[in-house]
Amino acid sequence: MISAIFLAAALIALGGAVGIVLFRNPIASVLSLVMVMLALSVLFLLLSAQFIFAVQVIVYAGAVMVLFLFVIALLGPIRELPTRRLPRQGFLAVIVAGGFAVLLVSMLGNLRYHAPANADLSVFGSVQNIAFGLFTTYLYPFELTSLLLLVAAVGAIYLSRERRS
Amino acid sequence: MSALLAYNGPNPGGLYTDPVGHWVIVVVAMLVLLLVLVTVTAYVVFLERVLIGRFQRRPGPNRVGPYGLLQSAVDGVKLLTKESFMPSGVDRFTYLLAPAIAVLAALLTWSVVPFGIWYGFYNWIANVNIGILVIFAISAMNVYAIMLGGYSSNSKYSLLGGLRSAAQLISYEMALGLSLVPTFIIVGSLRLVDIANYAVHVGPLQLPLLVLTPIGFVIYLLAAVAETNRAPFDLPEAEQELVGGFHTEYSGFKFAMFYLAEYMNIVSVSAVASILFLGGWQGPLLPPVFWFLLKVLLFLFFYIWIRSTLPRLRYDSLMKLGWKLLLPLAIANVIVTALVVVWTG
Repeated sequence: MISAIFLAAALIALGGAVGIVLFRNPIASVLSLVMVMLALSVLFLLLSAQFIFAVQVIVYAGAVMVLFLFVIALLGPIRELPTRRLPRQGFLAVIVAGGFAVLLVSMLGNLRYHAPANADLSVFGSVQNIAFGLFTTYLYPFELTSLLLLVAAVGAIYLSRERRS
Repeated sequence: MSALLAYNGPNPGGLYTDPVGHWVIVVVAMLVLLLVLVTVTAYVVFLERVLIGRFQRRPGPNRVGPYGLLQSAVDGVKLLTKESFMPSGVDRFTYLLAPAIAVLAALLTWSVVPFGIWYGFYNWIANVNIGILVIFAISAMNVYAIMLGGYSSNSKYSLLGGLRSAAQLISYEMALGLSLVPTFIIVGSLRLVDIANYAVHVGPLQLPLLVLTPIGFVIYLLAAVAETNRAPFDLPEAEQELVGGFHTEYSGFKFAMFYLAEYMNIVSVSAVASILFLGGWQGPLLPPVFWFLLKVLLFLFFYIWIRSTLPRLRYDSLMKLGWKLLLPLAIANVIVTALVVVWTG
């Protein structure tokens, strides 16, 4: 049952990822990306990470992708124009893809998966558990990240403000 | 997976832990819910038409059946049998997808909304640890229905409605989410059942959570109106400017699906409000199911009342209200509540 769900979600995620690149219509690409996000959230759920599941859907599928859609709809239905190819594009693509595959295999090839030693899966990914981690062990990285986001937001407002001449 | 479906309530005869019995329970609960929900939604439409009629000093629908009670059923049949017209130049796939997402999101919300039927006897499909976050996640999907419907219709009115709606929903989602954080801090759980069962003890009295979270309550009420695209925040479908907004080009059954989703969302928002702030099915004398219906009706009446009373906001004042008043107020509310909770232990 669980491996069937995993397989379905993984296939949807991969299909969506291919779709993002292949579709010429930008709205279809965005929808493919939404599918990837939703499929990933299902994978999180399979790993008993309930809270990450909800956050993945709310933040990525809910807010970020809606902004993508918003901008594309605002710009109008422009179809991506077929562009000229680079010289020897096929050859370069094979080299880059092959190099990336070698990198992935060498990094992940030796990984062995095992269930966490004595974790109670019903509390493992719960809100309380995540909050405990965020505010004790990972307090400084957590606070620094929020500071970084604040700086980014202030910077965006500064750059987009009306300039008085 | 198993954690999501974990059940920790009363377990008569081991029925809930039995692998087959568990699924029987879930399917029966879903079917009951579906039936009740669609009926209730139809009668909310009827209630709204009658009440708005009264607010405008006219009788409202009263021809079909006794007191007009069958009006919604007849309207449903009419919409089902109507010609399903599709304008030219639409993006066919997304055009058909949009109303389906709307109904799906409206129904899925109820997967985590519990309601008490009798003493110690609840109807719920899943009582998950992340509780209300599931509702936020699903209502985030609702934006896609409106955006895609507006975009794919090949009409400027629809597109403008969709864009307005996306901006409005994102703006008010923040205030909506933050307005509930004090409730979570006080109760210490996101499960809707825990929140509904939480009672504030003042002397001999048991009061609902509302007495501790009045500011969150007001912000939730306002933001929820914006989230469901209702007047006075119904800019996505402002009739005078945008014909019908995102659903201008939808007719027949596809329009009925948008309509159903909209009213189902209003019922969900009212039910969640009564669980979060008024203690859901808790109350003296009457059985739980009556209390729950009574509280939901209260909120429904409120939403219909403000729809027929208040004029629509201008777009910039809508954004100003959301970002400059509700959001800072919600954040201040979180900080103050957290401080008080830490202080008093």
